[in-house]
Amino acid sequence: MTLFSLARKNVLRNIKSYGLYIGSMIFSIVIYFTFVTLKYSDDIAVLTKTDTRINGIMSASSVVLLFFVAIFIFYSNSFFMKKRKKEVALYSLLGVRKRKIGMMLFFENLMIGLLALMIGIVIGFLLSKGLLTVLVQLMGYDVVANFVLSTEAVQNTVMVFIILFIITSLQGYRVIYQFSLIDLFHAAKKGEAMPKASALYAVMGVTLLAIAYYLSLTNIFTSELWKLMGYLTVPIVVIALTILGTFLLFNSVTVYALTMLKNMRNWSWKGLNVLTTAQLLYRIRANAKSLTIIAILSATTITAGGAVYSLYYMTGENTKATNPHTFMWIGEDIDMPSDNLRYDAHVTYGQIDVTVEQAMYRYSVIRRSDYEALAKLQQIDAVQGEYVLIDAFYNDDFSVVKAGTTLQQNDRAFTIDAIASQQVMNGALGMAMLVVPDAQFTAMQATATAHMYSYEDEKNEKELSATLEQQLPESANFTSYPRDYAAGLAGAGSLLFVGSFLGLVFLTATGSIIYFKVLTEAEEDRAKYEALRKMGVRKQMMLKTISAQVGFMFGLPLLAGLAHGAAALSAFGQLFMMDVTKPVLVWMAIYVAVYALYYVFTVWNFYKLTAERGKAL
Amino acid sequence: MEALLHVQQLNKIYGQGTQQFHALKDVSFTMAQGEFVGVMGSSGAGKSTLLNLLATIDSPTSGDIFIDGTNIASMNHDALADFRRDHLGFIFQDYNLLDSLTVRENILLPLAIAKKPAAVIQKKVDEIATLFGIETLLHKYPYEISGGQKQRTAASRALVTEPKLIFADEPTGALDSKSATDLLQSFVRLNEEKSSTIMMVTHDAYAASFCRRIVFIQDGQLATEIFKGTKTRKQFFEVILQTLAEVSGDLHDVI
Repeated sequence: MTLFSLARKNVLRNIKSYGLYIGSMIFSIVIYFTFVTLKYSDDIAVLTKTDTRINGIMSASSVVLLFFVAIFIFYSNSFFMKKRKKEVALYSLLGVRKRKIGMMLFFENLMIGLLALMIGIVIGFLLSKGLLTVLVQLMGYDVVANFVLSTEAVQNTVMVFIILFIITSLQGYRVIYQFSLIDLFHAAKKGEAMPKASALYAVMGVTLLAIAYYLSLTNIFTSELWKLMGYLTVPIVVIALTILGTFLLFNSVTVYALTMLKNMRNWSWKGLNVLTTAQLLYRIRANAKSLTIIAILSATTITAGGAVYSLYYMTGENTKATNPHTFMWIGEDIDMPSDNLRYDAHVTYGQIDVTVEQAMYRYSVIRRSDYEALAKLQQIDAVQGEYVLIDAFYNDDFSVVKAGTTLQQNDRAFTIDAIASQQVMNGALGMAMLVVPDAQFTAMQATATAHMYSYEDEKNEKELSATLEQQLPESANFTSYPRDYAAGLAGAGSLLFVGSFLGLVFLTATGSIIYFKVLTEAEEDRAKYEALRKMGVRKQMMLKTISAQVGFMFGLPLLAGLAHGAAALSAFGQLFMMDVTKPVLVWMAIYVAVYALYYVFTVWNFYKLTAERGKAL
Repeated sequence: MEALLHVQQLNKIYGQGTQQFHALKDVSFTMAQGEFVGVMGSSGAGKSTLLNLLATIDSPTSGDIFIDGTNIASMNHDALADFRRDHLGFIFQDYNLLDSLTVRENILLPLAIAKKPAAVIQKKVDEIATLFGIETLLHKYPYEISGGQKQRTAASRALVTEPKLIFADEPTGALDSKSATDLLQSFVRLNEEKSSTIMMVTHDAYAASFCRRIVFIQDGQLATEIFKGTKTRKQFFEVILQTLAEVSGDLHDVI
C-alpha cells in the first residue's frame, strides 16, 4: 500500500469525522473567494471608479479578511491534529517510521485542502452573485449584477490557500516529531489544582475596566484628561486597559463569583449545580485567554458593525437635516409638477456681515413671519425670541455666538435671544441664518428669493432632480434631497456591506472557536457524563448542566463584547453628534440572534456526544 | 427471605443475521435481600452484559428483570433514570470519580441529584465517609488521594443513597492487595451490619472469596454456583479455584 493511497483511504473512510474540519476550511474559502470576487467584479469596478472610497475600503478589508482566515485555518488545523494524536501514536507503535507518518499527514492535509478549495470556489461563485445583488441594492444603484466567474479572483484565492495549506501541512508534519509514544499510555490526565481567586487581580480587573469606560465615555471636547494625554494616545490606552481588564475579569472575578456560588450549599447541593460550577472553575483558567480574545473580537465586530450601520441608518436623517425641503433654488421660479407635491414656499431673504470680537461672520436673514411659516410646514416648533440664530453646527462649548452674544453690524448692534439648531432652509444658506422681527427686516436689504418645493416620497424624485439640475443655472445654488441622499447612500451602503460581511465572518469564526473548544472538552469529559447517567441523572438534568456550562462559555464573552461595544458606540455617537441608539440596538439584536443559534447548536452536539454510550475509552 | 432480584429467561443478542452473537442465553436466577453474590467467569462469558442489563443501562432482547417486584423492562427512559437514582448503587473498576469535584462533592452528588436538603446531605456524607474511613479526606480532590482511597470514595458515593442493590464491577481491579482487602472488608461489614445487598462482578478468586455465594457464567449461560456456608474464607478460596478450573478448563464435566 502506497502512502498516497493510505492517505486517500483515511480521508474517504473518515469523511464524517473530518467533516467539521473540511467544513470550516470550505467556509473560509467561500468567504474569501466571495469577497475577492466582489473586489474584482466589473460592476463594482464601475462604482469604484466613481467613488474611490469604496476601492479603499475593499482593499483594506481584504487584508483584514486574509489575516483572519489564516488564523481561523491554523486554529481548526491544530484542533484537528489534537484529535488525531492517538491515531498517529498507534501507527508509530505498529512500527511505521515517523517520516512516513509525517508524509502521510502531509498528503492527507493537502488533499483535504484541494477538495475544500474546489467546493469552496463553486459555492463562493454562486454566493457572490447573490451578495453582489445585495451590495448594489444597498448602495442604491440600478445596475444588474452579472454572472461571471472572475479568473483573477480564482487565481488569487487558489494562491492564498495553497500557501496556507502548505504551511498547515508542515505544521502537521512537525506534530509527529514533537510527541513521544509515552503520551499515548499516559492518556489519563494529571490532576490540575483548582484555581484560587486572587482578590488583588479581581479588584484590578474591575478598576481597569472602570477607568477605560470612564475615559471613553467622557466628553472628548471638554475632558481635561483627553487634552492631557493627547487625542491619539487615549484610544490606545482605552483599548489596552479594556483588553487587560477583560482578561483579569475572566481570570479572577469569575473565579471569585463561581467559588462563592459553589460555597452556597443550599443552592449548589441541588441537582447538578455543584458539578456545573466545579466544571466551570476547573476550566476557567485555561480558557481565560481564549475567552478574552473572543470578547475583544466580539466587541470589535459589534462596534464596527454598529458604527457602520448607524452611518447607513443616519444617511436619511442627515440628508433631511441639511435639506428640509426636497428642492430649493434661488432666482426665478419654475413651473413644477403638482403630482405628490406636499407644499411649496417662496421666501425673500437677505445677507448681512456682522462682527463678534473682531471676527467676521456672514449670515442669511429672514423675517420672523417667514420662519414661523416654514417651521409650520416642516412640523417643527419655532424657537421663540426676538433675534434667533439658526446654527446647524451649534455646540455649547465651541460656538462663539451664543444666546446673549451681541452682534455688531456697522453702527448697529443687536443681541441674540435664542439659538435654534434645526434648519428651515436647504444647504449652506440655511445652516447659518438669522431670524429677525418683520419690522427690522427691511433694513437688512433683501437680495433674493428662494423657492422651496417638497414632495411625498422624496427619495425617489431622482429624475425630477436631474431635470431641474440641467434646467437651472449654476448661480441658482440648486439643492436636492434625492441627489444628496443617493450620494450618502453610495458611501454608507458599501461601508455597511463590507462591515456586515466582515461582521458575519468574525461572528461565525468566534462561534466556531467556542464550538471547537467546548466539544474538545466534552470529548475529554465523556466518562464523567457516563458515570452521571449510571447514577440516574435524567436527560433534562443533563441538558440543564450542559446548557449552563456552554452558556457560560458563550455568554461571558458576549456580555463583555456587548458592554465594550456599547461604550465604544456611545463614544462614537458623541463624536459624530448622532443619536445611534436605535441602529445600534438593531445591530446588537442581530448579532445576539446569530450567536444564540450557535449556542443551541453547540449544546445539542455536546449532549449528543455525552449520550453516545460505550465509545468512551 | 424475600427475593430482591429476580431474573427470568434473560436473553441478549448482539448484531444481526450471520453476525449474530448470543451474549446471554436463558439466564434465570434469584437474589434475596441481604445477599452478597459474586459473579465470575472468563473474558467474554457475559459478565459485563449481565451487569449492564441488571443496572438498567442496557435492555435485554427477551426476558424479565424484577427488582423488588418492579419489572424494569416496562419502564421508560426517565423512569429508569429515577429508578437507578433511588434504588441502585454502582462501583466501577476505574472509580469514575469526577476530577473537578472534591471527595465530599463526589460523594454527595447522588443525594444532590435526588434533591435532598443540604443538612441531610451533610449528615449522610459524614456518616458514610466515617464508615469507609475517608472522613479526613473530604476536602481533597481525587488527584490528591491514592487509588484505594479513590475506590473507597467511589464506594461511598454508591452507598450514600442507601440503595436496595449495589453493583460492583471489578472494584478491586486497579487496587493493590492491601487496598483491595480494605475495600472488600468494608463490603463485608456493610453486608453484615447494614444487610446491604451486593452483587460483585470479578475474575479475581481472592476478591470473590469474600462473597457468600458465587455464580459462574460460561458462554452466556449460568454454569454453576457455590455457597460459602460455614467455610472459612481460605477454604472458600480453595473451592473457588477448583470450580474455576472445572468451569473453564473442562466444560464437558460441568454440563
